[in-house]
Amino acid sequence: MVLQIILLVGLVLFSVLAILVKDLLRAAISLAVASLLLGIIFFRMNAPYAGVFEISVVAGLITVLFMLTIALTKGGAAAESKAAAIAFPAFFVVFAAIDVLVMRKLLARMPAIAAPAEAGTFGQVLWNARTLDLVGQIAVIFAGVFAVLALFRKRNDKDE
Amino acid sequence: MIFLFIALPLVVAGLLPLLGRVSKRVLPDALANAVLLFLLVESVLMGKHLAGSGPYVRTFSWLGEPVNLRLAVDGFSLFMLFTISLVGLCAGIFSIDYMKHYGAKANYWALFLVMIAGMNGLVLSADLFNVYIFLEVAAIASYALVAFGLEYDELEAAFKYLMLSVVASAFVVIAIAVLFGVTGDVSFAAVARGLQDTDSRWVVAACTAFFIMGFGLKAALMPFHAWLPDAHPSAPAPISAMLSGLLIKVSGVYALTRIFFNVFGLTPALSTVLMGLATLSMIVAAFLALGQKDLKRMLAYSSISQVGYIVLGLGLGTPLGIAGGLFHLINHALAKGLLFLNSGSVQQATGTRNLDEMGGLAKRMPITAVTNLVGALSISGVPPLNGFWSKLIIIVALVQAGQWGFAVAAVLASVLTLWYYLLIQRKAFFGKLDERWKDVKEAPFWMLASNVILALLCIGIGLFFALTIKTWIQPATDALGQGVRIALGPWGM
Repeated sequence: MVLQIILLVGLVLFSVLAILVKDLLRAAISLAVASLLLGIIFFRMNAPYAGVFEISVVAGLITVLFMLTIALTKGGAAAESKAAAIAFPAFFVVFAAIDVLVMRKLLARMPAIAAPAEAGTFGQVLWNARTLDLVGQIAVIFAGVFAVLALFRKRNDKDE
Repeated sequence: MIFLFIALPLVVAGLLPLLGRVSKRVLPDALANAVLLFLLVESVLMGKHLAGSGPYVRTFSWLGEPVNLRLAVDGFSLFMLFTISLVGLCAGIFSIDYMKHYGAKANYWALFLVMIAGMNGLVLSADLFNVYIFLEVAAIASYALVAFGLEYDELEAAFKYLMLSVVASAFVVIAIAVLFGVTGDVSFAAVARGLQDTDSRWVVAACTAFFIMGFGLKAALMPFHAWLPDAHPSAPAPISAMLSGLLIKVSGVYALTRIFFNVFGLTPALSTVLMGLATLSMIVAAFLALGQKDLKRMLAYSSISQVGYIVLGLGLGTPLGIAGGLFHLINHALAKGLLFLNSGSVQQATGTRNLDEMGGLAKRMPITAVTNLVGALSISGVPPLNGFWSKLIIIVALVQAGQWGFAVAAVLASVLTLWYYLLIQRKAFFGKLDERWKDVKEAPFWMLASNVILALLCIGIGLFFALTIKTWIQPATDALGQGVRIALGPWGM
């Protein structure tokens, strides 16, 4: 229980750090640490597949991509306005307070988790029961790729 | 073949960037519009096929293995598919000429088709998690499309849209996770059954609130509307038409209605909350629209106001109210699509969106002026155009249910709507032609064609509204009225 709380607090802290830190490299590393902690939480909550994906893809692959991009562009940290620097932590504190007050009561009222109907091995669930999700994921990847192609195309690229 | 509604746009979208290397404009234009036309025909044919058979679910086999793709079609999803294909096709035809000067057309069409696939997938899915995934598909494509012009304000609007939309998605996914925790399943039918058995009112209330926040943000209902007046005007005109005409209705209104009617069941309290939010949007957004000088921004505020009407009708929950809400959904999709496309014609011809700078454009752009008038009168609810009938049905439904206050609010908002649309018409098209605009030309052929098609649809549906209600609206209303029952199908659960 104590370990769980430490992990959760760490997760929140590093997530916030990833937003607040001005240096992009540090922000990327904070994000990686946060997702590593999330992966460990997944393992502890008996969801090994989610944990493996979280650690390998989010903490690993995406961090590498971020670092490569930062290394290649060598951009400096963006300037931030003071209002944003104050507003976000203030918002975060208010949100955390509300969260602590409300969520405890809500979680206490929640009945025990019902047994999932779609039992089976990971592969069975993924390929047979959740096929449409896979189609959707393919569509998400398509959308992401085309979005990057569209947003980073040369400006004024006239097709005349 | 119902899976084609998702698969075909996706496959063609995947091919387009490759084909774009062979032919930069003609082939992508033709192929994408052919896909949209095919989907429209398919939705009409399927409607006939479905008319007697009722809702169904398909399983497929892939390389000999049975693959369990649960897609569900009923009157409501078919109605949405038809609306998506129809407005999508018109925006597609408009894009042929309009998107020329943006460049990267193959890429544009790829995103456009992915957005269509996402919306179709959302409409066809019979399970909460699928809804979430396809919501994201359509949303991601739309962020890129809003920013497609790559100018400063477009990127800023897209970023604001992205940030608020992510919050909406987070609320939706939290609610789905909690429902999964409580019921152990995510399919509509199983969750509906699970919720009947459970006695945890608080969990249901919390999930309801999360869904209202999430889908309310997507639908731009009043307290959650802040992103829309930036995002919709900044997008290229055909995308504004798609976003205002379709996306807010599919990922907001459709998802909200589907979940609240067929999974949770509409309770009186929920009905009151929805109607309250709807009336707030309807009135406040109409006042805000009055103060706008930017043509597209005014149209965007009008979208918020009209979504209010749709949700008001649906939230009332009586069969007549649902029918009115759904009828207004398609009418607004057509008319607002038309108006945004018209605004695109005007913007391309004059280079400005500021109403104060325009004037007398009817002399130079007569057809655009007429189609714009049709769209404006239709949304304002002037007989015999389509918008009049749907607003009338909603107001009659409110009066029948004894909701006099809401009925008066709906009439008041309608007057305001007429006011600001006549303002557009007068400032942009009537009056003396400004010296600056004496060389302005009428819009190119494909842009005019799509505007004229939409205007004719507005008039045609208005004249034959009884037929439209019988063919499209009634099956959809029945599907919603049956409530939970529909979702119970032979899905082997």
